[in-house]
Amino acid sequence: MTHILLRDLDIPDIWQFDTYVANGGYEGLKKAVQEHSPQEVIQIVLESNLRGRGGAGFPAGRKWSFIPQDAPIKYVTVNADESEPGTFKDRQLLEKNPHQVIEGAMIAAYAIQAAGVYIYCRGEFWDLAHALEERIEEARQANLVGENVLGSGWTCDVYVHLGAGAYICGEESALLNSLQGLLGQPRVRPPFPAQIGGGLYYQPTVVNNVETLANVPWILVNGADEYKKIGTPQSPGPKIFCMSGHVAKPGNYELPLGITFRELIFEHAGGIRDGKELKAILPSGASGPVLVATDEVLDTPLTYEDVAALGSTLGSASIILMDEDTDMVWAAAKMTHFFKHESCGKCTPCREGTYWLDRIYERLLRGEGTQHDLDMLHVVPKQMAPVTLCALGEFAANPVLSTVTQFPEEYERYIQRSDAPHPEMADAMSTVTRGTTGEVPEAVAEGGA
Amino acid sequence: MADIVTITIDGQDFQVPAGTNLVDAAKMLGTDIPVFCYHPKMEPVGMCRMCLVELGSISVNRETGEPDLDENGEPVVRWFPKLQTACTQKTYEGMVIRTTTEKVVAGRDDILEFILTSHPLDCPVCDKGGECPLQNLTMAYGPGQSRFVFTDKLNLDKHVPLGELIYLDRERCIQCARCVRFCDELVGDDVLAFHERGRRLQIVTISDPPFDTKFSGNTTDICPVGALTTTDFRFGARPWELDEVPTICPYCPVGCNLSASTRLDRDTGGKKIIKRIMPRQNEEVNEIWICDKGRFGHHHSRSTERILHPMIRKGDELVTVDWATAYAEVAARLKKYGDRTGFVAGPALSNEDLWELRKLTRLVGEQRQRGLWPATMSGIEAIAQAGAGVGTRVQDMGPGGAILVIASDFEEEAPIWWLQVKQAADRGVKVVVANARGTKLDKYAAATMPYAYGDAVAVMNGLAARARSRKKIARSLVESRVDGMDALIDSLKGVKVPHPEAADLLLDADDLLIFAGGEGLTLAQHGELMQAAANLLILTAHVGRPNNGLVAVWPGANVQGAMDMGFSAETTAALLDDPPPMWFIAEADPAGEDVRAAEVIANAECVVVTSLFMTETAQQADIILPGQSFAERDGTFTNGMRRVQRFYTAQGPIGDSLPDWKIFAHIGRQMGGDQPRISTGLVMREITEKVFRYADMGYPNLARVEKQFPDVGGDDLYYGGTAYTNTGGLGVQWKTNAEHEQHRLTVRPVNVDSFAADGLQLIPVRVLYDRGMWFRVSDVMDQRVPAPYVELNEADAAGLGIADGEQIAVVLGERTVEVRARVNGKTPAGYALLPMRLSDAPTLTVPAAGVVQKIEE
Ligand SMILES: Cc1cc2nc3c(=O)[nH]c(=O)nc-3n(C[C@H](O)[C@H](O)[C@H](O)COP(=O)(O)O)c2cc1C
Ligand code: SF4
Ligand code: SF4
Ligand code: SF4
Ligand code: FES
Repeated sequence: MTHILLRDLDIPDIWQFDTYVANGGYEGLKKAVQEHSPQEVIQIVLESNLRGRGGAGFPAGRKWSFIPQDAPIKYVTVNADESEPGTFKDRQLLEKNPHQVIEGAMIAAYAIQAAGVYIYCRGEFWDLAHALEERIEEARQANLVGENVLGSGWTCDVYVHLGAGAYICGEESALLNSLQGLLGQPRVRPPFPAQIGGGLYYQPTVVNNVETLANVPWILVNGADEYKKIGTPQSPGPKIFCMSGHVAKPGNYELPLGITFRELIFEHAGGIRDGKELKAILPSGASGPVLVATDEVLDTPLTYEDVAALGSTLGSASIILMDEDTDMVWAAAKMTHFFKHESCGKCTPCREGTYWLDRIYERLLRGEGTQHDLDMLHVVPKQMAPVTLCALGEFAANPVLSTVTQFPEEYERYIQRSDAPHPEMADAMSTVTRGTTGEVPEAVAEGGA
Repeated sequence: MADIVTITIDGQDFQVPAGTNLVDAAKMLGTDIPVFCYHPKMEPVGMCRMCLVELGSISVNRETGEPDLDENGEPVVRWFPKLQTACTQKTYEGMVIRTTTEKVVAGRDDILEFILTSHPLDCPVCDKGGECPLQNLTMAYGPGQSRFVFTDKLNLDKHVPLGELIYLDRERCIQCARCVRFCDELVGDDVLAFHERGRRLQIVTISDPPFDTKFSGNTTDICPVGALTTTDFRFGARPWELDEVPTICPYCPVGCNLSASTRLDRDTGGKKIIKRIMPRQNEEVNEIWICDKGRFGHHHSRSTERILHPMIRKGDELVTVDWATAYAEVAARLKKYGDRTGFVAGPALSNEDLWELRKLTRLVGEQRQRGLWPATMSGIEAIAQAGAGVGTRVQDMGPGGAILVIASDFEEEAPIWWLQVKQAADRGVKVVVANARGTKLDKYAAATMPYAYGDAVAVMNGLAARARSRKKIARSLVESRVDGMDALIDSLKGVKVPHPEAADLLLDADDLLIFAGGEGLTLAQHGELMQAAANLLILTAHVGRPNNGLVAVWPGANVQGAMDMGFSAETTAALLDDPPPMWFIAEADPAGEDVRAAEVIANAECVVVTSLFMTETAQQADIILPGQSFAERDGTFTNGMRRVQRFYTAQGPIGDSLPDWKIFAHIGRQMGGDQPRISTGLVMREITEKVFRYADMGYPNLARVEKQFPDVGGDDLYYGGTAYTNTGGLGVQWKTNAEHEQHRLTVRPVNVDSFAADGLQLIPVRVLYDRGMWFRVSDVMDQRVPAPYVELNEADAAGLGIADGEQIAVVLGERTVEVRARVNGKTPAGYALLPMRLSDAPTLTVPAAGVVQKIEE
């Protein structure tokens, strides 16, 4: 099969500008700029029903159409913060097929007549970000980026920005704050990024995931109808599935949306490691509810709508497999600790709720848990999730609720034991939970930063 | 005006302007929605999630536009499935909220439970305990029993100094960001920030020096918990022991309303003293804010250096006497010198003091030499004609308005006005700053009008010329009520307009408010500046209505009142030019502030002073009478917007001290005057009868209060902060001539002459934190008062071989003062800026040619 997104698997050198161009690269941008009005480009993407690959699955064309056309300054921001546990697709795209992302972003920018494109990379993408700047320069030299793009009179440059390593900065409004040099915390919405006052520097802004934009050049070249032939009507197009956990062949798999879990896991990814039984699936990293690997689940098509019907979410399709030996309490503790660590602290329920949950898990891992702790694992997430400012609070509730309800006996075992099952992890949790001034740099303890 | 929409709160319909913040709207309609992070003076951030409500919209049929009705004929409401934060909602047609349902109560309960999981049980020892929103809301909603069953909570640092004035308790902080947002958004000083994230999110100061803002104390009021406390008050008393006394700040012309929290204290042997100063809400004046000088500058009132008894000089010695002896002695001197006595009133005498002093001057003779200190600004006639309209509130001004600030380092001279004007600029008011040097307000200004020292009058006159040439003259006003038009218009022909574009910002605005300071002007020039401003405002009819007119940035809390009572800076200047043998100086320190005054007073035959301290002037005195600070007595001040405001007695007298008005009345009695009145209220009654502008200023009128919005204090502590409800009165503004239809207005050509610039000109400038006679003893602020300095231009400094930071000499006639040189690229060439009241030796109060030189080894 030839790939649409992970084209490096077919053409290893595609990261090079010449190779990319020799293989049809930048034709989508040329077509957009030379043959279509911005409105027509939005229309094409709308018709393709390309849905956002960053997690929420919001139709990209709809998002672009929200941008007020008469606003004098507009921006496109590419979300390359890729921080969800088990997600590593954007990285491969940016590393191995970077021009396609740049091209997609420029098409989006043309569609909304943006004044600039900002690629926000997670802090750890240090090398990648620097290489990306070279790729952008190549495109700039070829008049595909920058002043008077392809002689159209429209000017738009592309900039790369590195974050400082915070999961929350993948949330679009926190990302915009971070990009502006402010504290990486989500904003109150409305105004939404597409609206005046809500975007980058408070100007209307489209925020799209890397993979979303990587789809766009193909759609421009081949048309919306061709695109819809891939996948399902509600979830069209190819999708990169990031396979990790107890899977035999971890890695990225580009497949049409709509294939089932079973096909993906057993036909493509080599099944479960060491021939073990599959116990549970995290379909969208740490942030979606855990699915018990029943036949019903395995035969569910991987689409936004079908996974949602199971009570979970496709998210960014970072599929983490857990085999029969997996300790679900331990796994939930891990994820809880992650969310506690990544909570930005802006809103009370998430800041305090993730802290509370973390402390309960710490006690469970020490073998000191009580029935009250188990009761609280049912209560705290429900008390937290519906009232947080951003979705991280909901994400944080998912691993807890979905494990306490689906694996109650494992939890019961934890409170009945007299030994400490995971003392080292409990210790690790407590250092960041309760360290007093130890966790505060000296200058800060003095009141200065 | 915004459209009026109908919203439903708990089943009841209300009409409110569209787009009102829902918490505010509910509050105005009598429904409290609890908040921690939302503050009515700041943009919502939706952080604490305390303000949860059920929110829905009346479902409307798209075709008919009519509401859909259910089987009972009631409108169908589409509810959000989840609770929503009210503070992030704006009112719209068909909005429906429920604030009392089980779901809402449970939601709030849950949020409190979350907050309390990390909050220490400090209430019994916490300064906020007793006036704490968290405590109150926990009582109202909180879970009865904790489900956070751990033996320890989060432990963080509890005594973190954020600078020397404010301490942070990191455990108590609930991360509402009010303090950060106040500094960032309202003040514009980037001094606080969050460090880290998640449960480790904590407040830090990011400025050097730490927490470097003149408004830091306000954060302790709006902090919804006891996380921020002042060095001044922390652990000093419990709020329920305190007795709140309404008072007025004695320092600057803003006239901030304060509340003195007092109690009977061990430190004073059981006497009532001020434990802290808090803001008192007056939306007409300071809203709910005060600056740190007003908050922390009250310590002089019970300083151990206070003069305790009347004293008379016998040879080289000062001998303590009783009041009767002192009165008789002063009366004898006044009889002896008669008309040849110069009276000088200080900048913060009350109107009642001034009235009694005025009566005394009448008993002494015909000349009535009533001077005012400092003698730097004049222009009462300009204010009387064209002063800011009654009801002026900078916070009401919007994009159609313009504000000119001229000849003032505004933040240093009137901090809260600065804060209000800065916020006005943020809202789109065209703020134009005219000065001979850069000031902090420039950053927010729509335009600046730089000029050379001496040219302020020409700049103002240029605006009038521009109004003329652009045909902006308001014919109907001018033709019906204005005298002197022809001469003025003639004088404006051919006048140069220094900054036409900036001028047009002002001339094209619907509302125009002018704040005029006195920096770099001689006294005569200041009078011309004020007249030039009045000319402009009258010509363009920006008089007689709110948010229009002239405000003088007077050099003191009651300079306006002193002028209203007939004291003037011109008289002081004349007295200094032709010194009388006897001086009667009330609560002022001319000898400590001005070399010329020091010389004259040193050579006087007889000097009588009322004073709190042994100032330079007091040291020259033959008779010293101990007056009282604002804290020990009552009276009224008239602020720079002509608002007469009452202050009340907050603490017991120090020593034998008496309020000045009583001292003057008793002396007057010795001179054959009336029996002294028994209260300030009666003195004010006399003023209302004799001074027509004060006819409405009887105490009952001044004490009147009305409901203000936002509603702070009282039981709604969680709502606006700990600013106190105003029980002392909102005060009354006197009307200008423009507001009396029967009065005519007068304009006249002004003299735009600059001063001859021979050599280096020394420009006295005002700094907020100075060593003025009262503030110098306000111990907690010591670190904020800079060492005496002079600011020089680089070229001038280089020419004199002076380096930045070097200790140098400023030669002022016979005297020399040593100060530190600041060479910082901000001072215009040819000028040296010399802050007033910073040195222990007298310097200058008006510009003069001078010499700055290296100190001889
Ligand atoms: C806590 C949180 C973290 C997120 N992290 C990412 C991320 O790393 N990358 C991403 O593309 N979207 C992330 N999102 C989703 C973005 O907010 C946003 O929906 C997305 O960038 C939109 O792009 P799309 O429409 O192309 O999917 C995150 C959302 C939340 C709430
Ligand atoms: S839900 Fe969590 S991450 Fe999101 S704003 Fe609130 S504290 Fe921050
Ligand atoms: S110190 Fe007070 S005002 Fe500042 S964030 Fe903490 S609780 Fe809020
Ligand atoms: S602004 Fe002026 S009146 Fe207000 S507190 Fe400060 S010094 Fe006092
Ligand atoms: S979230 Fe509304 S008051 Fe804090």
